[in-house]
Formats: sequence, structure tokens, C-alpha cells
Amino acid sequence: MTASLLPQRRTRVLTKRPSGREGFKINWWLTALMLVASLTVLLPLYFTVAMALKSPDQIGTGTGLAWPNPMNWENFAAAYVATNFPRAFMSTAFVTVFSVLGSLACSSLVAYAIARNWNHRFFRGSFVYLLSAMFIPFPVIILPLIKQTALLGLDNPAGVVFLHVLGGISFNALLYIAFVRSIPAELEESARMDGATTWQVFRKVIFPLLAPMNATVGIFAFLGSWNDFLLPQMMIADPALQTLPVVQMLFQGEFNTNYSLAFASYLMAMAPTLVVYILAQRWVLSGVMRGAVK
Amino acid sequence: MLPSRRSLFRVAGLAGVAALIPLSGCAGNAGQQNGVTTLRFMQNKPEVVNYFDQVIKDFEALNPDIRVIQDFNEGNFVPGLVRNDPPDVVTRGFAKATADFVKKGIFADLSDLPAASTIDPEMQELISSWGQYNGNEVSALPFSLAAAGVIYNRDIFDANGVAVPTTWDEFVAACETFKTAGITPIYGTFKDSWTLAQGMFDYVSGGSLDSAEFFTRINAKGADISAEAAESFTTNFGPALPQMLQLVSYSQNGASSKNYADGNAAFAKGQAAMYLQGPWALSQLVSANKDIRVGTFPLPVTNNPEETKARVNVDMALSITRNTPNMAAARRFVGYLLEPSVVNTYNEKNAAFSPLKDAPPVTNPQISGLDESVRKARYYQGAGTYFPPSVPLHNYIQSFVYSKNGDQFLAALDDEWRRVAERTAV
Repeated sequence: MTASLLPQRRTRVLTKRPSGREGFKINWWLTALMLVASLTVLLPLYFTVAMALKSPDQIGTGTGLAWPNPMNWENFAAAYVATNFPRAFMSTAFVTVFSVLGSLACSSLVAYAIARNWNHRFFRGSFVYLLSAMFIPFPVIILPLIKQTALLGLDNPAGVVFLHVLGGISFNALLYIAFVRSIPAELEESARMDGATTWQVFRKVIFPLLAPMNATVGIFAFLGSWNDFLLPQMMIADPALQTLPVVQMLFQGEFNTNYSLAFASYLMAMAPTLVVYILAQRWVLSGVMRGAVK
Repeated sequence: MLPSRRSLFRVAGLAGVAALIPLSGCAGNAGQQNGVTTLRFMQNKPEVVNYFDQVIKDFEALNPDIRVIQDFNEGNFVPGLVRNDPPDVVTRGFAKATADFVKKGIFADLSDLPAASTIDPEMQELISSWGQYNGNEVSALPFSLAAAGVIYNRDIFDANGVAVPTTWDEFVAACETFKTAGITPIYGTFKDSWTLAQGMFDYVSGGSLDSAEFFTRINAKGADISAEAAESFTTNFGPALPQMLQLVSYSQNGASSKNYADGNAAFAKGQAAMYLQGPWALSQLVSANKDIRVGTFPLPVTNNPEETKARVNVDMALSITRNTPNMAAARRFVGYLLEPSVVNTYNEKNAAFSPLKDAPPVTNPQISGLDESVRKARYYQGAGTYFPPSVPLHNYIQSFVYSKNGDQFLAALDDEWRRVAERTAV
């Protein structure tokens, strides 16, 4: 019905590539492809869940695809106790929450300052300077960083937050700067006409318009921080403050791995990531149009 | 431009200071508080955390003025040194990497510790042979010795009427018996190249050659080696290679696509009679099949049973870091760990050998077959452990096992060794 109302040119394109909207036809080839592609996520997830529920003697038998019977729910309890899960979880959550908030705040401020002062040489130079940080492989500088943070009393989760925020600035600012540029300067000028200060312009006009990019940066910062292993492993001096990915090493000896406990623990550590990813992903999709100018 | 830049710096400076003030409060290590000394104990085996938790609890009950924090995150050891705040007491597997720390004087001298005199001098020699700081210091005391040989399935041996071989000929005859009976003699896991290095390479070379003496000679020779030299791999390891290839021929078909975890699962299910692995595999075998009856014997590579030796490594060695502010407490803790009730119990529970002179004989049937070799000090540290990490030995062994080209293998080792020696020559 609606198809007949469409301009001629559009219909021709649509007849070539039938879409759901035109004739309620499903592209089976593409759907099949997507289904296969989704296996790359679902299959490992299935293995993780199945492995977490196996007893040690069920692990070695069969192809590994079989669902364990009976299921060993006590793996979760054992992993929970062995890793001191609540403590490690709180430590990881502390690092992650503050890394995400810090990344959003710092990177957007940096990006706003650079994007709106592009005609100043200093700001153009600082953009290049920040970008150049992306070319330095992290493991190269980790030992000097450890020395430095120890001198500053930052050999703890707070130091990890600090470095996560700092390390993320170059990539996040790159994302933000491109986005800030797409926000028309007229919006800002109108706010200034109403007497807004630079801070108010940023806080009331620019930052809300950055929402889709905030979601993107937030997801990157969350995943990077939640899953980070190397930095907490080497930087946090007090084992009581260690984060989940490091504590989970407990299940991996040099020659023996306790697979079922390890996977139960991974699953528990993964749950918040999954939840946040699903929620935030929706938000990105809905927020794509939010920056549009009327 | 200038004022804006200055204000920018001011803001940055203020933000930096503001960020640091609250954080410095929670830093600073409480070494001593209310007369209680806090020790940090870094141990290298995550799988025995629970055992040490109990040991620490007992120790703290006897020593109320000391509190011990256990840390199994060994990756934090070097960062600890970098921030000049290493753990007070450390256990490490003792081989080349730890020996490098010893040579730099990271660890304190423990020779005057009363417990040091209770250690079997032969086992102490396994550590000091890597080099001593100042020529005479004892930087590490052995805590646990892992002895490796051939793990065998007792049920399969009994069912085929095969006795534990004590000579190479008996070993070959046993393999032939299993082969005829349709049983895989040796389970190979060639995909994990380290299993080839610690297995057939170390066993055959260690049994036929004095590896410690060989590596002392080749290290002394430096970059000056050629294939024809008396110190070369070509000259010394050549005779061992045919025996390695014979071991390969007794492995199952498709061994090249099996890794260590596959091997444990398959051997636990009785798919082969023998398995060239160390005691670390035992717990994996039992967890996969709790009814399995296994034993271990040292691989005989000559026809003189007196010459048969076991491969050992110091799985855990105790050290105290030199600059610890809590030296007295650390020494008390190390002394406690080396009390027979602690160290013997640990080794008994973990299929390892106690380093004490008067340790009771091992009764664990899984490793009792190695007891005689260990007690008579008929053992060696694997040749593979002497290689610097910059020589990809494991890969060379793997490609030798696949290509069976021994000359090429040994020539490559000679070249690699020379290359590294040239580069690191002082």
C-alpha cells in the first residue's frame, strides 16, 4: 500500500532489493548469514555456561557440546568463596564506575576545548599531541608508569582509574571532536545570547547533545576497565584490593586449570558486562538521531 | 593567548593536586602497627592457596605479633621491585629467571638461618649451581622439589604382565608388548611443544649427559662455539636423538594435534600405558578419573640401572627480599615454613619431595617410584631449563619431532646459542 505512494525512483531500487517494508519479504540469505554470525557470540557463551555447570569428570568426556547432567550449581558457590567475590567485585566496580565517569567528563571537556579553539595553534598542537599517545604501545611504558604511580601513592585502584581515564583520552577525544564539530556553532551562539557562560554552554547545550557519543565512549570505557588485566595486576600493590580479572587467575596454575570453577567465575564476572552492554546498546540506537538540528 | 594559557595551567595544576590529596591518604604501607608486623608473602602456585592459608593461620596463632598476607599474583613481583616495595617473603620456581634475580642481589642471605642446615645439601646444590650472589650467599632455600619421570597406568601394566622397566632395552620391550596388544605405549601431546621439551628432550638428554656440567662448559665458551667444538650441541646431544625418535614412534597416531589438556583427559581414560609428564599432571589425571591407578618411574635411557636418573625442578624456593624492613619477622616465618611438619606435609599432599635431610620416605604410590632416585640424588635439572628465553627451543624440538632431521635441529641450536651469546657477551 505504502509502496505505491513512494516516488518511482525509490520503488525501482526496492524491487531490486526486496525489503521487509515493501512486500514483507524476508531476505533469507542475509538472515541465514546473520544467524551463522550470531553463533560466533552464542556458541562461546553456551560453552561458558555449560562448562560452569560441569563437574571435573564431566569435562573430559564427550565432545564438550553436551549439556551437563546433573548440573553442578555448587561450582558457583565454590568460585564465589575462592575469589572472595564480593570484595573483588566491589574493587572492580569502583575502578569501572570512576573510569567511565572520568572518561566521559575529561574526554568531552578536552574535545570541546579543542574543537572550539581549532584556530589556535596551541589547541591544534595539543590534538596532535593527544593523538600521538595512541602510537605508544602500553607495555613499553608500564614499568616507568608503575614507578611514577608508586611515588605518587597511586599503587591502588584509584591509580588504575587515573590511568584508565588518562589512557582513554586520546581515543575518546578523537571520537568526541568529530562529533562536537558536527554540532552547529549557532546553537552555542544562541545560548551565549541568553547570557550563558562557557561552562554553562558546555553543561547545558553541548554535553546533552553528545549523548550518543557518550554512550559509545561509555561502553568502550566500561569494557576496557572491567576486563583490564595487565594494569591492575601490575599496579595494585595490596592483594586485598585486586580486581576480578586478576583474582580469577586463582583457577589457572602453571600446569593445571580448574575449568569448571574458572568458567563459573568468568560467568559471574561477565554478567554485569552483558547487562550493561545490552542496556547501553539500546540507548545508542535510540540516541543516534538525538543530535539532529531542527 | 598568554593569560589563557596560564589559567589553563593553573586549572590543570589545581585539578592534579586535588586528585592526589585524598589518594595519598590511603597509600603508605602499614609495615608495623600496634606492635604487629605485617608480612607480605608472595607464593607462586595459585592451586595451593588454601594450604598456605591454613599454614598462615597456624603461624599467626603461634606468633601473635606477626600478620601474614598471602598474595598469589606473581605478576606483581617485578612491579614490586620497581616501586621499591617488594613482598617480604617470596616463593618462586627456581630456574634461570629466578637465578637472574639472585645474581642481582635481590634476595637476602639465608645461610645463617637455623633451618638452612636441615636442608639436603644435594638439593641446595640444585639452587646454588645457577650461581650465588657474592659467590657464597644462599639466596633461596628449596621448599618443594618436583620429580618427573614416566607416569604409567598400573592397571594396564598389570593386565599385560609388564614390570616397571629399569633399562632402556626393557623399556623398549615393554613398548613393543603394548603395541602388539593394540595399546598405545606412550601418549604424545606434541601440539604443546613444552611437553616435548620437558618430556622426551629433557629425559633422554638428562639421562645420558650431565646437563649441569655441559651448560657450565658451553657458557664458559661463550660465543666461540662451532658445531665441531667439544662444547657444541651437535657433539653432545647427537647420541640422544635416535632415542627421542624412538619415543616418538611409540606415540599414538595424531599426537601432533593433541595438547596437554587432551593428553590428561585421554591418559586418565586409559587410552595409553605411559605418559611423559611430571607430577603436576597427577592432580589433573585424578580429577578426570578418580579411580585411576598411576605410578611414576624414571625413564631409563641406558642399560645400566644405576645410571637411571629422574628429572627434577625446584618447584618452590623460599627467599626473603634483601631490603625488607621486616627482616626478623620474615626470618621467623621462613623458619616456620621449613619446620618438618609444614614442609613435609605440603610435599606429601602435593606429590612432591621434601627438601629436608631427614624427610620420611615418600609413600604416595603415584610418585614412590621416584623416591629412590631422589634419595640417592640421581637427578638432573632438565636441559631445556638452561636455555635463555630468547632461544625458541620448544619450537625447534617440535620441528625436529615432525621432520626427524637431527642434524638440522642441532645445527640450529648451535647457531641460536652463538647468536644469543654474541649479543649478550659483556
